[in-house]
Amino acid sequence: MLILGVETATSQVSVAIGGHEGVIAAVEITRGRRHAEILIPAVEFICQHTGIEMTEFGVVAVDVGPGLFTGMRVGLAAGKAFAQALRIPMIGISSLDLLAFPARHTDRVVVPVIDARKGEVFWAMYRQVPGGLQQVAPPTVGPVEELVADLLARSQEVLCVGDGALRYREEILDGYRCEIGGDAYPSAGALVQLAHAQALREEWVNPREIEPIYLRAPDAQINWATRAVRE
Amino acid sequence: MSTFVRTAHAGQRSSVGPDTLVLGIETSCDETAAALVLGGTEVISSVVSSQIDLHADFGGVVPEIASRAHLESLNPVVARAIVEAGVDESRIDAVAATVGPGLIGALLVGVSAAKAFALAWQVPFVGVNHLEAHLYSAFLEDPTLEFPLVVLLVSGGHTMLIEMQDHGRYRLLGRTIDDAAGEAFDKVARFLDLGYPGGPAIDAAALNGDPEAIRFPRAMMDDSYDFSFSGLKTAVVNHVRKNPDVSSADVAASFQAAVVDVLVTKARRAAVAVGAKGLVLGGGVAANSLLREEILGACATDQIRGFLPSRQMCTDNAAMIAAAGWYRLGTDGPSGLDTGAYPNLRLPLIDPDAWARS
Ligand SMILES: [Zn+2]
Repeated sequence: MLILGVETATSQVSVAIGGHEGVIAAVEITRGRRHAEILIPAVEFICQHTGIEMTEFGVVAVDVGPGLFTGMRVGLAAGKAFAQALRIPMIGISSLDLLAFPARHTDRVVVPVIDARKGEVFWAMYRQVPGGLQQVAPPTVGPVEELVADLLARSQEVLCVGDGALRYREEILDGYRCEIGGDAYPSAGALVQLAHAQALREEWVNPREIEPIYLRAPDAQINWATRAVRE
Repeated sequence: MSTFVRTAHAGQRSSVGPDTLVLGIETSCDETAAALVLGGTEVISSVVSSQIDLHADFGGVVPEIASRAHLESLNPVVARAIVEAGVDESRIDAVAATVGPGLIGALLVGVSAAKAFALAWQVPFVGVNHLEAHLYSAFLEDPTLEFPLVVLLVSGGHTMLIEMQDHGRYRLLGRTIDDAAGEAFDKVARFLDLGYPGGPAIDAAALNGDPEAIRFPRAMMDDSYDFSFSGLKTAVVNHVRKNPDVSSADVAASFQAAVVDVLVTKARRAAVAVGAKGLVLGGGVAANSLLREEILGACATDQIRGFLPSRQMCTDNAAMIAAAGWYRLGTDGPSGLDTGAYPNLRLPLIDPDAWARS
């Protein structure tokens, strides 16, 4: 079964095609134009150069966040439309799972950290288990100090990965002795690999059931004078 | 200045005709909409999912809430438009979506989904200017309209008077220099605690009020066709503060009368000046009952044709997107799959300097 993977939750846009042989093709663009302008041409490109028709896909996999809202929505809107148009199911995977996946061969606790802007980061914690990683602390958003406090509370050997770990390297290393490395961004390559394992178990959903992980409530302050509260 | 260049297939004409079926998608503000339109004028289905309830507590559209709701609603809305049309999706010849102007996050949901539908179905994608689409909404209900037309486009985001000389040939006669008319309605309704959205709330409250109770200022801006509503809004606030016991119904009726007076006077003057064959209303505020009544009355007096699209066609919908998309596909060809969203997109004018002048 061929899987189309679409990943836009950070400043990177990536698209991959996966199958039983692993990643067949992948495109990753970390710098450049906006997500919406790159994503669909990237899908067209990757199909053209692999000679794979859109109708051959059996599943669309998407990164459901947490991440930057605007970017995330570009991938989610496109992924859901692909699935609906092709009448195929979807698999949604968290950006933090994707970021932790390539670091799975360490004995340390893997902590993917995504830059959430506004001085905050998204993070979660994973540990190695036979056959992969297991989440030991759920996705959270907060200031870097809160992440450091969370690391201290665990007092384990830790590997921090992701653009948030790179951006706040000093703050993290100041507060807690750990290793920082691995990938900066979640990738569509990891997405199609993780999705393939789920697809074999038929763990997929209808496009309507794909739930973005925002972790933050929308900013909704509108202050207009009303007659009721006039001076 | 925002530009929207058709890069990938510039200049290439597509064969569109009376049998061309276009799926339109609209997500620029707080309505998630999809429609199927045949041959640019025949509405086969039109589905609009409004988010009004989600924004009511805030008295205005909250961009992040709007974007989240579009992402949730778009797939079911498209599915319903296809089911209601009773056609197989393989019958769809092109996908059109609003690319601007509007809220960036909201626009991106529709543009991204529309391009994905187009790529998956292997049909052209066409990006549509939301303002141009409003001009086309009148043709959906009356394809016999003749040029030149004067269009009064009044909504929560826009207030403009446009001379439509032909398909795709627009001249800007005037526009608001501050608040849009719909924005003034929202703010005054909010101030009077009449509810949200302001247009229908003021319209309803005004029914029980005296439009001559308070003589609010009419900003006629001399001979220009430009509008200004911020002074009127301030006058309403000051009047209520000075007269705390004044009836909200009288304020609403008098405010509405002032807005409509200005809109109708200028639209009418513009129609005479350009020798228009018709005067057309568009945009959400065009659903206002006093405005509809006054425009029709003025047209009857001046003996020109007044055309008021139905309320569903005045407010944001996707049928107008599909109609404008059908037309643009024929003249300009498909848009590139690298098309983005352009929150400040302007109407393509034959006299682009008009923006700077006014
Ligand atoms: Zn509109």
